Amino acid sequence: MTAWTRRQIGGLVGGALLGVAAPHIARGQGRPRVIVIGGGIGGATVARYLADLKSIDVTLVEPNSAHVTCFFSNLYLAGLRSLASLTFDLETLAERHGITIIRDSAVAIDAPGKGVELQGGAKLSYDRLVVAPGIAFKFAEIEGYDEAAAKIMPHAWIAGSQSELLRRQLKSMDDGGVFVIAAPPNPFRCPPAPYERASLVAYYFKQFKPKSKILILDAKDRFSGQELFQDAWSRHYPGMIEWLPSQFTGAIKAVDVAARSVVTEGETFRAAVANIIPAQKAGLIGEKAGLTDASGWCPVDPVTFESTLQPGIHVVGDSIIGGDMPKSAFSANSQAKACAFAIAASLTGSPQFPPHLFNSCYTFLAPDDAFTNALTFAPEGGRIKTVKMLISKVGESAEARRRTARHAVGWYSAFTADVFGGGS
Amino acid sequence: MKRERAAAIVSRAKGLAAEIRWLLGTSLSAILLFPGNSAAEDASQGAQIAATCASCHDPAGRGQAIPPIVGLDEQRIVKAMLAFRASESPSLVMHAVALSLTDGELAVMARYLTDRANAGRQP
Repeated sequence: MTAWTRRQIGGLVGGALLGVAAPHIARGQGRPRVIVIGGGIGGATVARYLADLKSIDVTLVEPNSAHVTCFFSNLYLAGLRSLASLTFDLETLAERHGITIIRDSAVAIDAPGKGVELQGGAKLSYDRLVVAPGIAFKFAEIEGYDEAAAKIMPHAWIAGSQSELLRRQLKSMDDGGVFVIAAPPNPFRCPPAPYERASLVAYYFKQFKPKSKILILDAKDRFSGQELFQDAWSRHYPGMIEWLPSQFTGAIKAVDVAARSVVTEGETFRAAVANIIPAQKAGLIGEKAGLTDASGWCPVDPVTFESTLQPGIHVVGDSIIGGDMPKSAFSANSQAKACAFAIAASLTGSPQFPPHLFNSCYTFLAPDDAFTNALTFAPEGGRIKTVKMLISKVGESAEARRRTARHAVGWYSAFTADVFGGGS
Repeated sequence: MKRERAAAIVSRAKGLAAEIRWLLGTSLSAILLFPGNSAAEDASQGAQIAATCASCHDPAGRGQAIPPIVGLDEQRIVKAMLAFRASESPSLVMHAVALSLTDGELAVMARYLTDRANAGRQP
């Protein structure tokens, strides 16, 4: 069902509504119009930065009224943050930044006709379209795992009700149980996150269920920040976390939801709580709109983030093939800014400068122990290449690690204000 | 052929500019005097680069762990960025960011942040 925001009901001046009534009239008159599909990190950032230029009319299409951040949701799983503290009302983007928000889902995109069809039946026209659908799961790759199974063995890889389910299960688990995390193959959303999850759940177990174990069944043979994690696991949680690479197990093949067991090539593991993180691909509208290639992700121009498959449509965030850029909230935010300035240049003639692309992630090992990385990127030969990569080192002082944990909390507050328009 | 010749001239000019900058050294005054484009273009480029700052620094200056940058003057911003460029020890993130900006970009970014803060203080 479509739910119009107050701004639309009150004003009926949103370009999108004109577009519904008469797209041929709306387009080409007044300010150029950009439609953004998806109110996650990438979509919200593009919408906010374009709207702040004042010369472009921006409409954001998103079915949910609020966004729950995946980053920091491992702190929620460990009982260190509330879910409310990770939830951002999208209405701020409408009220403070003049973005028209339509609470609906896009079901079809007409690229040549520059139109978007919504589930509620409305048709919108655009001058430029930005698609930021995030990730979808390749459920078929794990036998027995689908949306229904995820209600018993949560993925908790899209934050919200899935995170709440996993938290409830961890809280009600008996001491001495085994918490199994099935970690996905590359590429996937937030490469260090399965291992941060193991660390923070271990922190929770250490206080409340000290006989419990965590078993990571990985689809890979190495992972992001491996040395830093393994060092921290031996310092904070000796004997509690076991990581089994794909070469030892043949990786996860199936789940038996009724028996709550996870099946690899050669073995079956019984889990008190199972967190199954499936292989991933671009969000579904990307596929439907012909924005994905054989990899399942969306190829884009590394300067403008315009699709290389569908002209006039830009894609940012986890759903793109980002070259060397990892799928992270910071990457999505950085890409979204470059994309917004490129769209503004193309629609209003504003000057365009070489994009600055960054990623920085804060990863918690314990509440007062975190590490960070910082990467810079530049477009080169049609793809995004790493220019500089810096990462915290094993053996840093406890004070340095505490400082990084404090920076992480400060960063979260500033970053979410930047994305969801809560700042000045 | 014409295009190749033009490219060669541009390349030589860029090389010369780099050499002049090297001779001047990357001193503070050299950066602050960096010849830019028009004022409007500089402001636009400054805004685009400063957008990066907002991913970590609270624009309202409420930051505690990550220091606020609101209200810092141009010279102080450039000085701090040069220090971050020189060493990774105070902050990995700022070292990476400072390394990725040219002297010219640093100058227009600092000027933009200062101008915006001054404009904000006016009634």
